[in-house]
Amino acid sequence: MRLSNVAACFFLACFGLGGLAFAAPVSADHIEVELVSENSALVPGHNAWLGLRLKHEPGWHTYWINPGDSGLPTKLSWTLPTGFKADPIAWPTPKRFQLGELYNFGYELDALLPVSISVPAEAAIGSTVQLGVEAKWLVCHEECVPGKANLRIDLPLAAKATPDPAFAAAFAAAHAAQPAKSASKAQARLIGDRVEVALDATDLRRPPTDAFAAQTKVVANAPPTIAERGGKSVLTFAKSDYFTAAPEHFELLLLDGSAKAVLIDAPFAPAPPSSSSSSTP
Amino acid sequence: MSLRTLALTTALTLAAPFSAAFAAATVGAAAPDFSLTDANGKTQTLSQYKGKTVVLEWNNPGCPFVQKHYSSGNIPKQQADATKDGVIWLTINSGAGGKQGHLDAAGAKAFIVQYQASPTAYLFDGDGKVGHLYGAKTTPHMYVIDAGGTLRYVGGIDSIASADKEDLAKATQYVPLVLAELKDGKPVSVATSEPYGCSVKYGS
Repeated sequence: MRLSNVAACFFLACFGLGGLAFAAPVSADHIEVELVSENSALVPGHNAWLGLRLKHEPGWHTYWINPGDSGLPTKLSWTLPTGFKADPIAWPTPKRFQLGELYNFGYELDALLPVSISVPAEAAIGSTVQLGVEAKWLVCHEECVPGKANLRIDLPLAAKATPDPAFAAAFAAAHAAQPAKSASKAQARLIGDRVEVALDATDLRRPPTDAFAAQTKVVANAPPTIAERGGKSVLTFAKSDYFTAAPEHFELLLLDGSAKAVLIDAPFAPAPPSSSSSSTP
Repeated sequence: MSLRTLALTTALTLAAPFSAAFAAATVGAAAPDFSLTDANGKTQTLSQYKGKTVVLEWNNPGCPFVQKHYSSGNIPKQQADATKDGVIWLTINSGAGGKQGHLDAAGAKAFIVQYQASPTAYLFDGDGKVGHLYGAKTTPHMYVIDAGGTLRYVGGIDSIASADKEDLAKATQYVPLVLAELKDGKPVSVATSEPYGCSVKYGS
């Protein structure tokens, strides 16, 4: 049945019926996309998880919120019934991809970008609503192909919702891949052409092996060097070529080689009065 | 496989992150000289254009971002406006042989005709030396060098990172902005921006 849906969409898409939204997987170049729901119904007054399911052709990938040295993050624009609201994408921990000396962050194979949708309390139980999204992505191997699809899902409103077994595993994996917010402190400092981040603690089980900046234009995308100094892990990045000012909050995703990553805020220390001093205690 | 990934990550972590190969040209400093062959078989150097403003544009005709700015007429118009004003516009292809967008001389000429483009010259950098010298990472990736040979702008073609032509109308086009400011003797208001596009297809 799923296969015939794919065929139908592909067939329709071939005839350029733009503006149609698909309540089924859409096959595009090197990727299949679908708007899916964790539960088979929505409950008034509760949040629900929807997700953009991405099935990449092996070897191809799409991008994280910070795509790295090239690429573009996947973008969603929602068309929702009155009173419904969509949060930003709850980005799962991405992978680092290397192409020569260029670095990117993103997703490959089967991935799901979850989005929390708030359902208004006054939504009528027994009715059915349609949630629509326009998804735009860039899928790359070494070469890249931009894609766009209008997707929709029809869901009933009910007093209780049960998980849709078709997507339970995909949502479970996407939730498990959510980075935990670290309660620990970190401090970033700009020292010449480097950015150093000292971690008091990390909430990771092991010392970090890599770190990805959630923002662009702060640090270069190459992996940082990681050293132990005075009982702290110190990550040293090259400053981004496009650094203009230190952001108020600098969010870093810390990885330890396990599936669980930690998101830590590393605010910048005030710039020293005379810049470019590189000797530090 | 995850073990392999971990090992790779560790190996990279031990390597210096300040890649010497990407010790890019710096805004405010002298733009490094280079010598490349163009689509007419002529040698082109940066130093031969001393006294003129020079734009460098990294190009890969197979890249959808480059196609956005060519098929919409955006880059061809910028080239025509700039060169009419006496600016030298050098389009550079650092794609290695066998990679997407790598062109021979005939291919480059056909590309220029197809889009009614008007760069001063289309240069080949198949070994990526000049791309690395300038730290070119994406196509497009733009550089503006003033008449004194100082690099004044490094960055993206415009302010909205997308492959969608619909975004062009809302975007700030940085090169015409910088060229106008240089012409009027004004300070350059945007000296760097983050470039977006395809990775430059360097050889390994």
